[in-house]
This record gives sequence, structure tokens and C-alpha cells, in this order.
Amino acid sequence: MGEIEKETPGANGDGKNLSTQELTLSMGPQHPATHGVLRLVLELDGETVTKCTPYVGYLHRGVEKLGENRTYLSALPLSDRLDYISSMANNVGYVNAVEKLFGIEAPERAKYIRTIMAEMTRISSHIIWVATHALDIGAMTVFLYSFREREWLLDLFEMTCGARLTVSYPRIGGVRNDVSQQFLDSLYEFTEEFPRRISEYETLIDQNRIWLKRTKGIGVISAKEAMNWGLTGATLRGSGVNYDVRKAFPYDAYDKVEFDVPLGTEGDVYDRYRCRMEELRQSNRIIRQCIEQLPKGPILAPEASKFVLPPKENLFKNMEPLIHHFVLLTKGPLTAPEGEIYCGSEVPKGELGFYIVSDGTGKPYRMRVRAPSFVHASVLPRLCEGGLVADVIANIGTIDIVLGECDR
Amino acid sequence: MNTKKIVKTIFMTEILQGMALTLKSLFSPAVTRQYPKEKRQPFPGFRGQHAFVRDAKTGKEKCIACGLCGAVCPSKCIYIYTKEDEETRKKTIDRYEIELLRCVYCAFCVEACPVGAIALTENYEYSDYSREALYMTKEKLLDNWDRFMAGPKGDEYFEKFWTPKQQSFRAHDDQAVFRPKGSNGAARPEADTRPEGVK
Repeated sequence: MGEIEKETPGANGDGKNLSTQELTLSMGPQHPATHGVLRLVLELDGETVTKCTPYVGYLHRGVEKLGENRTYLSALPLSDRLDYISSMANNVGYVNAVEKLFGIEAPERAKYIRTIMAEMTRISSHIIWVATHALDIGAMTVFLYSFREREWLLDLFEMTCGARLTVSYPRIGGVRNDVSQQFLDSLYEFTEEFPRRISEYETLIDQNRIWLKRTKGIGVISAKEAMNWGLTGATLRGSGVNYDVRKAFPYDAYDKVEFDVPLGTEGDVYDRYRCRMEELRQSNRIIRQCIEQLPKGPILAPEASKFVLPPKENLFKNMEPLIHHFVLLTKGPLTAPEGEIYCGSEVPKGELGFYIVSDGTGKPYRMRVRAPSFVHASVLPRLCEGGLVADVIANIGTIDIVLGECDR
Repeated sequence: MNTKKIVKTIFMTEILQGMALTLKSLFSPAVTRQYPKEKRQPFPGFRGQHAFVRDAKTGKEKCIACGLCGAVCPSKCIYIYTKEDEETRKKTIDRYEIELLRCVYCAFCVEACPVGAIALTENYEYSDYSREALYMTKEKLLDNWDRFMAGPKGDEYFEKFWTPKQQSFRAHDDQAVFRPKGSNGAARPEADTRPEGVK
């Protein structure tokens, strides 16, 4: 944190006629509480923030442009690296968009597996959120406890796809490989255990008087304003707007499971916290139902042979699969239809949208990513201005941004 | 303000509850691992450092120099230089290099390889001070296979993780489904189902 003084204070020696002036404070990009490389330039009048300007772009890697130079399959790992703590949900959003463009559909079992994975991601992302948010505000114990549960989920990811964070698990037309029985048993045990762990976090902070003082009535945004700012996810639902992509435009197996969308009333930091804690319980519920309903069946669409890699056994038996294999990997699906598609999905941070323009070649002509973190970062001035400088941290935490996704 | 609230405020019940929880945790077993001393065994199919499959019959690499791994690689970190073998007149690899510092470990190269010539091993401890050490050549990759994947492990790897297989496209009996606890004979094993190391 660096301080920039506009001019030297006007002390006249006798201490009389002291002039007050605004202080410009550059917070970040290396500040531990800015959740990455966000830089805020704050203008302070004493303890009050008069102006707040977020500067983003420190983590810009050009994901959208990189996507234009890769085939639809090879662009999948780029979506891992948007919001790197919920990479599975990003993957699912991306493959859903591509499948919508191609006009193919994943088989039932693959849809259920994707739903399970996306909800596991939501739990692990929200766990990190409550951990770091509480740590920023000053409650350190939650941070230590929640990483314990996250480890379990990451181990389950590793068991299925071999990676813990950047998973690249779903495939266009299905998923990479099937889940094992050990995975299902372990995950079901997790869902039995997890509600108790949520109560533990809540015992630590939910009614804690310091927590309430730091969160209630801070960063209030009304429902109308929240909609006008384009907020999505729990940040929007904290203000009481009932919008959830999973309910509004169901994808994967979300129309086959029962869950509630928790809503806040006040639209302050505390209500958004309550929404996310309740979402943890709902995600847990979705996972349980998905495991119980999980059908047997193919995990890759057999009818979409123009877009899915052929089985390895057939490669040297027939010429056609071999040609498909080579063309799909080197040039991408050449039968991709022309057109444009927008497909939104509910990732832990909000609505992640992929807008893909296809010109009929194997690579996207344009891949636009509607990143919730970017939209949410833009609301920071609205939340911070007029508040105290200590609440800036609470406000950054409550909108739940990840700068990898914000800067793309 | 009712009495209950006054009592709560004075005696700080919510803070005491939190402190009781932390006190309880003090006596529960530790969940952390002392990493360099206690190593963690990754799950089968972990996507770690690469290896070149050594063919048991010929003792050489299996690679047929088709270049698909380099084509599909999202970070373009595989460099393949080919030549014609003077005896057999077949296309073989002259140099095969992987830049580990650019690799994103997506395992698309494994998926792309039509002959199963490249694998990702379970080795995750390969940090080094020089870039040269993280620039894999054909010899280093073959050496990796001998060190980490030789034997049944390598067979199992291609059995399970070299996808898609024919059975990915149809339903089969081995597929995992939900097993309720104690349901007709197919009870879940009593052993802890949690992954190793998670408490």
C-alpha cells in the first residue's frame, strides 16, 4: 500500500489553521485482501471513502483471443483458467455452449456427472469464499476449518480426472471418463458429513457480534440497483432478486432435482453471506439427489460421432474413425454449423456466459466470455463510496471476485 | 430487549460456543501433513510429469511421429522433429521435446495419441533451478517411464485413462451407481471410503 500525498500539510508552526485534504490511497495490486491482483485507488476524506476506482487487467492473458486460435477441444483448458478455483463449473459451462452450437446433447449419465461435479465445485468455491471473506474481516478459524473439507473434494476430483484444480474433465458430448464406485461412496459420505461442517462454520461466525457489526448494513444495494448493475449469482440474490440460471434456463440435470434458491432481503454483506451458506446446503442436496438418481448409460454421445473422438479400439480397425480422429484433433470439427450462440451457466460466482460465433471451421471465430467477476468488480465504487475505509475489504469479499476471470 | 437477549449479550454465549468448538478441535487429530517428510501418494491416473512409453518388445519408444500430440496441445509446448529411418523407410522421430514450464497438464496429448505412446506419470516433484532440467527430451521421457510407470502400472494406466473406449459409448454392468447402506448384500464396505489422507 502506498500513500500519495498531494501537497505537504499546511501546518503553520503554531498548529492553528491546519488544513485538511483528501488522501489518495492506492490499494493493491499486491494487497492480500484484494483476492488477487485487483487495484483500487481510493480517495479518502478521513475515514470515509469519497471515490473508489477499480483498476483491472493485471492478470490479462487474452483468453478470448487464444480461443480463436484453438480448436473447440483445445480451447477447453482455457476455461479452467478463468476462475481457477471453480474450474469444473467453467468447463461445464463451456462444453454446454459448444454443444448448443453443434446441436448435440450429452447422454443422461454424463449430464448427471456434470451436475455432480459442478455442485462439488460450487461447494469448494463457496468454502474458499467464506474462508477468505472471514479471514479478511478478522475471523481466522473458519479459514483453517474450511480448507479441511475442501481437501476432501479436491481429492475426489483427483480420483476422477487426475487433477485437483485445473481439471479439464468434461468433453464436448460427454465427460472424459466414468466415475468410480469409490468416488460415489466417498462423495455420498461427504454429503452426509457436510451439513454438520456448515453448522460448525456458522457456530464460529453466524451470530458473532463482531461479525454482525462488520457485515450488517454494510454494502447495501437494492434489488433494482443490483439488477441494473448486471449482478448475478449470490451477489444478486442477496438483494432478494430470484434469478438463478439453474432454475430459469435449466441445463444438465438441474430440471430433474429439487432445490431451493436462497434469497436475501436487505442486500447487505450479511445477507449475501447467508445466501452463500444456504447455497452450500442446497448444493449438498443436489449432489445427494444426483448420486441417488445416477443412471447407467453411455458417458459420451454415441450419435455425435462427428464431434466426439472415436473409440481407441476402432482406430486401427477402420479407416473412417482414424480419419475422424486426425481431423478432429488437428483441424477441429469441420462439420461445425455456422452461427452464433450464447449459453449461460450458473457458476459459483454468478452467471458465466460463453458467446461463440462459428464460421463453420473447426475453430471459434469469436469466443466472448461473460465473466461475472468482471461485472461484479464494476459495482465496487457503488458499494464503497460513502462508506468507511475498513468496509472496503468487506465489500471486496462480498462480491466474490476472482481476478483470473475478471481480467481473462 | 428481552431477557434472553440480555443474557446472551452479557455472557457472550455465541463467542463461547465458538470457543468451545475450537477447544474441541484442539483435541481432534491433525488433518495436515508434514509434506517433505510425509509424502502423499497421488491417485491412479494423476496428471504429472510426462513419460514416453517404452515398448517391451523393441525396447524403444512406441511413437510413430504422427504429430497429433503437438497439434492438439493447447499450450503448444510439444516440439517434434521427424526423419526417415534409413533401414525400414518409416517415419520416425528425430527429436521430441516437451517444455514442461509451458505445459498445462491437460492430458490431451495422451488422449490424442493413436498408439498410446505418451503417458502422464504420478511424479509431481520435479521442480528445479534451471530451465534445462525442465526441458524434456526423448531420452529423459523414456527414463521417466522406467522410473515411474514400468510394469503393471503402465498397463493399468492405458486400460483406464486412455479414453474414449468403446464402453464409454454404451451402458455396461461395471458402471458405478448409488449403493444404499446395507441394501441387499451390496452393502458398502465398512472401511473408510474417504480418500487417503483426508480426516
